Amino acid sequence: MRLFWVFFHKEVIEAARSYKWIWVPAVFLLLGVMQPVMMYYLPDILRASGELPPEAAALITTPPPEEIIASTLSQFSTIGLLVLVLSAMNIVAGERTSGTTEMILSRSSSVLTMMTAKWAATMSLLLLSFALGYAGAVYYTYQLIGPLEWGTLAGAGAVYAVWLAWIVTLLLPLGAVFRGPAAAFLSLGIAAALTLLASLLPSQLPWSPGRLSAIATAMLTGESSPTFAPALAAVLLIILSTVAASVLLRRRPLSAQA
Amino acid sequence: MNFEINWGIVWPILALQAVLAVTALISLARTATEAVRGPKWMWVLVIIAGNLAGSIAYFVGGRRDA
Repeated sequence: MRLFWVFFHKEVIEAARSYKWIWVPAVFLLLGVMQPVMMYYLPDILRASGELPPEAAALITTPPPEEIIASTLSQFSTIGLLVLVLSAMNIVAGERTSGTTEMILSRSSSVLTMMTAKWAATMSLLLLSFALGYAGAVYYTYQLIGPLEWGTLAGAGAVYAVWLAWIVTLLLPLGAVFRGPAAAFLSLGIAAALTLLASLLPSQLPWSPGRLSAIATAMLTGESSPTFAPALAAVLLIILSTVAASVLLRRRPLSAQA
Repeated sequence: MNFEINWGIVWPILALQAVLAVTALISLARTATEAVRGPKWMWVLVIIAGNLAGSIAYFVGGRRDA
């Protein structure tokens, strides 16, 4: 356990040195805050631009608060996820090029500890960023547009966080095999494929972790769908990825990268 | 056209943008020239002119892996 905290501390410091603790949460907060403000002003902006006939402009109104939160989540799914994955892509892949952990890893029992610490550090950044962005979106929506239900918000947020978590965790095993950018590309590709597949075949794949983002959106708009199976699948995938990453890293010598 | 911008709503967004850009500029200033991809002055322009996207671009792709 002591070793875990040593590794965790190292990861946190490394992230701080590259300003990750500032810029990733700031991007999420901006995304979260901008969406409700944009939606709030959208009718005004359209009217002011004068291109639209007034009859058509009258049809465009500010959507209900739940829909604004849902559209914020879709912002997080594109720009937010991209930022998270790109900022974390070198967390394992970078170790192989720098080779600093080679000495530590001569004791092979510590690989899993190191991987868990890396995972925990990445998740801390992810959760902090998402929580900030989500809270910003909720606060602005509440102030500008209307009240929201706390229970639904918390549920949807939790489901969505699990969705982000499993995609970012994919970077660990992928980073143990590929270089950083390739790992980032692959994990985004897998996430996109699974999410697309889950939305195309919802009845065949009720347990797919790719459904979690859609479930979160559906929760906000009041539909309920079974959450347990996909969430469990995501958690299993996270555990499997972390273990697989440490096995892969142990097999491949750290500095043997061209 | 009674289209008024409520600055109480907008200033946090501008402040956040500024925080992000300033962080990016500080990071750029403290990074050695060899460790920056491309000329530094180019990144200064990108960060200042590119708003959110510019700062993200710098943080993601501006530095070589240490």
